Amino acid sequence: MTVEPNFPSTLDGRELAHSGALDGQGLKALMEAGMTWLKANQQLVNSLNVFPVPDGDTGTNMLLTMQAAYNEIVHSNEKNVGKMAHSIAHGALMGARGNSGVILSQLWRGFARALDNLDKMDGPTLINALIESKNTAYKGVVRPVEGTILTVANDIAVFTERFREQTLSLNWLEKIVGEANRSVENTPNLLPILKQAGVVDSGGKGLAILLEGMLRYLKGLSLAPSAAMVQPMNTMIMEEAMEQIEPGQDYEVIVDFQPSHPLNLDKFYADLSEIGTSIQVGEGDGMYRMHIHVPLEKRYEPIDYTMSLGTITKVAMENLIAQLESRKTQPEPEIQFTPVEPGKIAVITVSPGKGLSRIFASLGVSAIVEGGQTMNPSIEEILNAFENLPTDKIIILPNNKNIILAAQNAANVSVKNVMVIPTKTIPQGLNAMLRHDPDGDLENIAEEMKEALNEVETGEITTATRSVEINGVKVDQGEVIALLNGKLIASGHRLDQACLDLLAEAKTEDRERITLFYGQNITDEEVNQVAEKIKEVYPSHEIEIHEGSQPHYQMIIAIE
Amino acid sequence: MKETNPFGHIFISHRAIASIAHQAALESYGVVGLAAKSLAEGLAQVLVKDPTLGVEVDYSGDGITIELYIIVEYGTRIKMVASSVADNVRYQVEKSIGLPVHSVNVHVRGLRISNLD
Repeated sequence: MTVEPNFPSTLDGRELAHSGALDGQGLKALMEAGMTWLKANQQLVNSLNVFPVPDGDTGTNMLLTMQAAYNEIVHSNEKNVGKMAHSIAHGALMGARGNSGVILSQLWRGFARALDNLDKMDGPTLINALIESKNTAYKGVVRPVEGTILTVANDIAVFTERFREQTLSLNWLEKIVGEANRSVENTPNLLPILKQAGVVDSGGKGLAILLEGMLRYLKGLSLAPSAAMVQPMNTMIMEEAMEQIEPGQDYEVIVDFQPSHPLNLDKFYADLSEIGTSIQVGEGDGMYRMHIHVPLEKRYEPIDYTMSLGTITKVAMENLIAQLESRKTQPEPEIQFTPVEPGKIAVITVSPGKGLSRIFASLGVSAIVEGGQTMNPSIEEILNAFENLPTDKIIILPNNKNIILAAQNAANVSVKNVMVIPTKTIPQGLNAMLRHDPDGDLENIAEEMKEALNEVETGEITTATRSVEINGVKVDQGEVIALLNGKLIASGHRLDQACLDLLAEAKTEDRERITLFYGQNITDEEVNQVAEKIKEVYPSHEIEIHEGSQPHYQMIIAIE
Repeated sequence: MKETNPFGHIFISHRAIASIAHQAALESYGVVGLAAKSLAEGLAQVLVKDPTLGVEVDYSGDGITIELYIIVEYGTRIKMVASSVADNVRYQVEKSIGLPVHSVNVHVRGLRISNLD
């Protein structure tokens, strides 16, 4: 049930501006103007909405409230300003939408109350009406929150007081709108959540826009949406433009320029729409800033076009896709270890890759010794890993037969109670971790872990560094080779075939789960290919893939 | 109400939730007070300043249910105020404790007519 205003409708704004006092029809015209301008800026206000609930509907709600109020008076010829105001307030009350709508209806209610049934509104009356409007609005809530539309209403009322001795004129509204905008800009300093979100208060902005619409009408300025596209440069929301890159848009072009003739914004905007998307136009200090997203082949067109309109002062061009890519690469998060509780069992393990370290940490390992390229940590390195832990119950998982000796030496040297579980491979180490219980008795837990070693078969896939013949398997340098529990059992040219050979040798058909840990020397495509092949041969087995980031071994495979 | 995570359980009392809801309600536009459910309760509140007056929290299988007993400013659109309060309370509670609110029921217990000279 909304009526679209035909704009301009009732009176000529310029005529109204010089009359010195406002009557019913004048108020109607101003109200219409404010509403039209709010409509043009509706999305902007919506986008600022973060308080109290970030549901992005402040602009829409305020507009609907204004439209409901307008519907009440659309056919009215009432000349009495007080009566007109009451009708508007009544319409606003009945049609108030959302939080902001209710507050707006309260502002109108107070305003109308002050006008009572006066014929015309002069200067002092306006001032009183603004004060009354603010008071009524504040009464509607127990804990008024500053940095919202209430603050802006308050600042306007306080500001207007200075004109009390003067005659009502257009100059007043000019200054009031300035104050409203200043107050809006200040709202993030009063309401932390606005500052956090990097926006001004949406309701306050909506109110300022209503007043601005009235001013524009009185000055004979356009209230059309294309005029609304022009914003103060410091409000151009660039960040949001980044989030919505449409397909086909490769470059972001920003041009600062001074037009040689007054800019026809409608045409400007329309012409730009032919070239690209996400168009924003900002204005400040006689200069315009145009922002646009364009496809590769049109990347210079915005510049050429703008050059035809005036003098270009600055051009910025940025590759959108590259920007998006660099945003995606996040720094790797630190590995989180479970903190050791004093007196409980702490497990330390040797790991060759970051991915595997992460997995161990997630299973409850308290410290990791980086095996590095050679998987040969010194006794000292192993000792350092656990000497400072707040417990004397330590379990070491070496995960490599070369390290078992070093680990045992470290155990002997330390004054703590250290047990070494002779894990020879990563899968054995992982399986042992599954038996871990920090609260348990050290000997018992160590026993359980040792039992776990036999439950898992370990496969390792790597590249042969020299030609050999072992166990009846002939290997040429550079071939892919497969080791089962440390024994060479197959070689070949294809990675996936080597994996399948390994699984067959390990009698995987009798098992249930296959876990693949892929290392640094393998591509994502290769990993997927191997996984697909394995799924084909063993469709009813559980298959898991993890990033191990180990060097040397393309794949470490655990078969359970 | 109880929530379980890998480290154990988290218990959040009805009172804690009610406090959040109470605060959110008072900050909602149009709400000028929270009311007691009954006269007896009202008298008791005079003696003990209850930070959760006018708010009842229940937790059943479906989730958290909140009952609000509010006093609204005369002259506002009551239906809109009530739905704004419900919205606000739901958002604040969900944001603070991280669990979904099944329903917020608003009972308008009265209107306050302000002295606007």
